[in-house]
Amino acid sequence: MEVTLFIHAADDAFRILENAKMQAVGLLDTATRLTSETRWMEEKKVQTILKGAQETRSGLQNFLATFVMLMAFWALLSGKFDAFHLSLGVICSGIVAYLSHDLLFANVRVGDGRVIARRFLGYIPWLLYEIVTANFYVAYLAVSPKMPIDPQIIRFKTKLESDISWVTLANSITLTPGTVTIDVAEREFMVHALDRKVAADLDTGEMEDRVAHIFMEADHIYIQDVLDVSRIFAELKRGI
Amino acid sequence: MSEFFVAVGLGLCLLVFLVLYRVIFGPGVFNRIAAISAIGTKTLIILLVLGYVYGRVDMFIDISMVYALLNFIGCVAAAKYLETER
Amino acid sequence: MIDRSDDIIIKTIARIFVPFIQLYALYVIMHGHYSPGGGFQGGVILGASLALLLITHGYDEIKRRIPEGVIILLGSVGVLIYAGIGLTCLLLGGNYLDYGQLSVILHVDPAHARSLGILGVELGVGFTVMAIMYSIFFDIATGGILPEDQKREEKVKREG
Repeated sequence: MEVTLFIHAADDAFRILENAKMQAVGLLDTATRLTSETRWMEEKKVQTILKGAQETRSGLQNFLATFVMLMAFWALLSGKFDAFHLSLGVICSGIVAYLSHDLLFANVRVGDGRVIARRFLGYIPWLLYEIVTANFYVAYLAVSPKMPIDPQIIRFKTKLESDISWVTLANSITLTPGTVTIDVAEREFMVHALDRKVAADLDTGEMEDRVAHIFMEADHIYIQDVLDVSRIFAELKRGI
Repeated sequence: MSEFFVAVGLGLCLLVFLVLYRVIFGPGVFNRIAAISAIGTKTLIILLVLGYVYGRVDMFIDISMVYALLNFIGCVAAAKYLETER
Repeated sequence: MIDRSDDIIIKTIARIFVPFIQLYALYVIMHGHYSPGGGFQGGVILGASLALLLITHGYDEIKRRIPEGVIILLGSVGVLIYAGIGLTCLLLGGNYLDYGQLSVILHVDPAHARSLGILGVELGVGFTVMAIMYSIFFDIATGGILPEDQKREEKVKREG
């Protein structure tokens, strides 16, 4: 009697486990399909960025913004503000802005310009402080008699999206003494570092976080993390 | 005040001579290009310091900006040429 | 050197710089009588900015913005401005390039007219120098063969 009860209970338990397994497999299939679709969309977006597609700003807005910046530059260069020179400045800025209005502001999301400019101005003092401290450390390395350098090349994948943020990060890394950006291919940075300590300073990712904060990017789920986890899911799925 | 600027200019000239060693003896052409670009940046500052010594900075700023531009464009052109020819 | 490449850092920096370089060149031309500069220097900087765009972005991009025929035409227009101002001064009763005579058509005093006349001549010189600098650089870089002709030759060689 107890044996039959035991067999019925075991049967029920196995059926429940079977249902749970089928549901889990269904969920994993949906998750893999979604991540592969988002991966395809990510790659398409990267391709459009590399082609320099201008998605959101109109031509007239670009022209006016370029004209204002060029006029400010002219006023800075020429200290004369009488009518003749100012009219010359307006004509010259107009011609140059007309010929190259889609050069300066491609790939910028619309409406974000002022916030980005303000955050960029706040980023520069931090960068200067980093440069000064790294300068002292590299100078100490260079003048010590046995010169304990340990050159190595670091690769890391970046979470930034637009080409201006890649360029800002690459230039900041090169400006900081001790590290030089060698190559930026798709989303992988190749950086040459002079020592273990400056490499560790780069590995923490603080500079990358700050640059992402300037350009208001990378504030969503990181696709690469989901993809890494999906590989582990696949392994587990095979083992059930 | 102008003695201070003359001293700064002479110090930078000394640095230029140190980098000139790499231009002459650098094994290979990449060392020479990087050294010439470095000399270009020192030359900019020496031009500005000369402007202070002669008392007419506003003229020398124009010249040094042009030199900075041409230094940059020359470096980019040389690097592009070497990339495709080797 | 003229084909498309994907060095994203140099491409981004070049495309941000080129408008400022061109505006600085025009500033150097216009302020030739106050600070070091003038027609020839400004024209060289303009040509250098076009050369930078050619190196980093490739031939197709330049062809889309300013076709080569337009640049050669600008060179001829520069010479036309120079000779035209000189001939106008001749026709108005003075010597060749005697800018003081321009005060008749511009209704300003002769000193002012001289200043404006020199400005016009420098502008013409600047355009011509830009066109010739760019043309020389382009011919040396492509070896005198346009990429379209090169592709056509290769296709003919492959099929023939």
